[in-house]
Amino acid sequence: MKTILIVDDDADFAEALASYLQANGFKVIEARDGTEGLRMARIARPDLIVMDVVMRERTEGFFTVQEMRHTTGLEDVPIFVVSSLYSQHPEFNIAPDSSWLAHDAFFSKPLDMPAFLEQIRQRLGVAEVAG
Amino acid sequence: MSSPAERETIVVIDDDYAMRLSCRKILEKSGFNVETFEDGVQGLEGVARLKPGLVVVDLKMPGMSGLEVIGRVHAIDPDIILVVITGYATIDTAVEAMKTGAYDFLPKPFAPDELRLIVNRGFERRRLVLEGRQYEVERALLKRRFITFVSHQLQTPLVAVHQYLDVLKHLGDHPDVAEKREEWIHRCLQRIEAMQVMVKEWLELSAVESEGFARSRDRVDLKVVIADIFAAYQPHAEAAQVSLESDLPDGCSVAGDRHCVAVLFDNLIANAVKYNRPGGKVTVGAEIQSGEVRISVADTGIGIPEKYIPFLFDEFFRVRDEATRNTSGSGLGLAICRKVTAEMGGQITVESKVEEGSVFRVSLPAWRQKESNAA
Repeated sequence: MKTILIVDDDADFAEALASYLQANGFKVIEARDGTEGLRMARIARPDLIVMDVVMRERTEGFFTVQEMRHTTGLEDVPIFVVSSLYSQHPEFNIAPDSSWLAHDAFFSKPLDMPAFLEQIRQRLGVAEVAG
Repeated sequence: MSSPAERETIVVIDDDYAMRLSCRKILEKSGFNVETFEDGVQGLEGVARLKPGLVVVDLKMPGMSGLEVIGRVHAIDPDIILVVITGYATIDTAVEAMKTGAYDFLPKPFAPDELRLIVNRGFERRRLVLEGRQYEVERALLKRRFITFVSHQLQTPLVAVHQYLDVLKHLGDHPDVAEKREEWIHRCLQRIEAMQVMVKEWLELSAVESEGFARSRDRVDLKVVIADIFAAYQPHAEAAQVSLESDLPDGCSVAGDRHCVAVLFDNLIANAVKYNRPGGKVTVGAEIQSGEVRISVADTGIGIPEKYIPFLFDEFFRVRDEATRNTSGSGLGLAICRKVTAEMGGQITVESKVEEGSVFRVSLPAWRQKESNAA
């Protein structure tokens, strides 16, 4: 079973996403800020990380991604960045591939859950479990 | 401005040698850095190179006319102040020069002090324009950040509610999801309520910022105000096992805006309940002293770490640590308190000890009889 770490300061968002992913066959762990996220990622070695941007600090998620990229064992773990803020600001428009940043993909909140799930499955090479 | 390190530069463009010389002498004596040119073409080259704050230009020159010079100087930098020198015969042209953007004109012959006066006024004008522009830039920046921040604050609860509903829609029949259904609906309602409070506070803050707000000076009886607020918060307080107590002297009335006074103490008492602990209490006291009513709102709650105190009344500031993890708030309440208190001519301060509680002290002008006569 693949493990996904959700780093988001909004407990409700994390709960909804976690329940959806769990019901679809993933193991989910949660962290409420970047520091906790980094610690849990080191210990639990998740297969994929979902990272919020604006937490305690305005760009905490981006900094956490950078730190993860410099942490042994986390250099290559796929990171999906999610935010409600950036997508709607032309000046912050982030291309989906975001090659200038160390994360893998950017999604705007609210998430289209089935589409998001599909992206995770594709990235992890997991087929949909029948039934 | 007159210190050597930041001397302002003036460019003088005049075909008359004597005029260039006298302008230089007069203005250098006033501490300006002066460069002179004998025609428009050289003058403009000098302007582009020297970036002066002010240009003195003769209107009637062979070659490029003074009028053309004005237009071209402003094409280089629209904030350069232009002073036009003109003979009596060309007053009409001087007026035309003013229309094309010159700041002022000086008819020949003129006394040294006349030139100094116009030049100094011109620099004053320039300073105001530049400051105004800087202020505009800062305001725009602040406004953009404010809007970005507020939109994020509004988006966050909407996203949470959206995502709950989305999962219920797609997986409502899944046993794990079905058992959480009730709890999720409850959470959605809570998030929506918190959002409504935030919008209300946001509107209050913008009302406080609009001019003329809190200008009325009503006789506001604090006993009535506090009793109303206590009545409203009683259910919350009981649920949180916090007792509400007040000890207010008779005739304890302030001169202020009724609505603002209510908003102020509503916020303070709400916080005192919210950041309290089971078995704790909220105490509102007051004393009248030298024309002021000094009100204290004390709680026995979690307290505020000292490092956060300087930021406590800032817009959108929230103490975020383990102790406040499960409380929600817009970060606007105390900003509103500070604004309305100041608007009514009062002051608000806070003392706090972590684990022991906080005391917010508000002083407001006491109500005096003569004000009722004036009203």
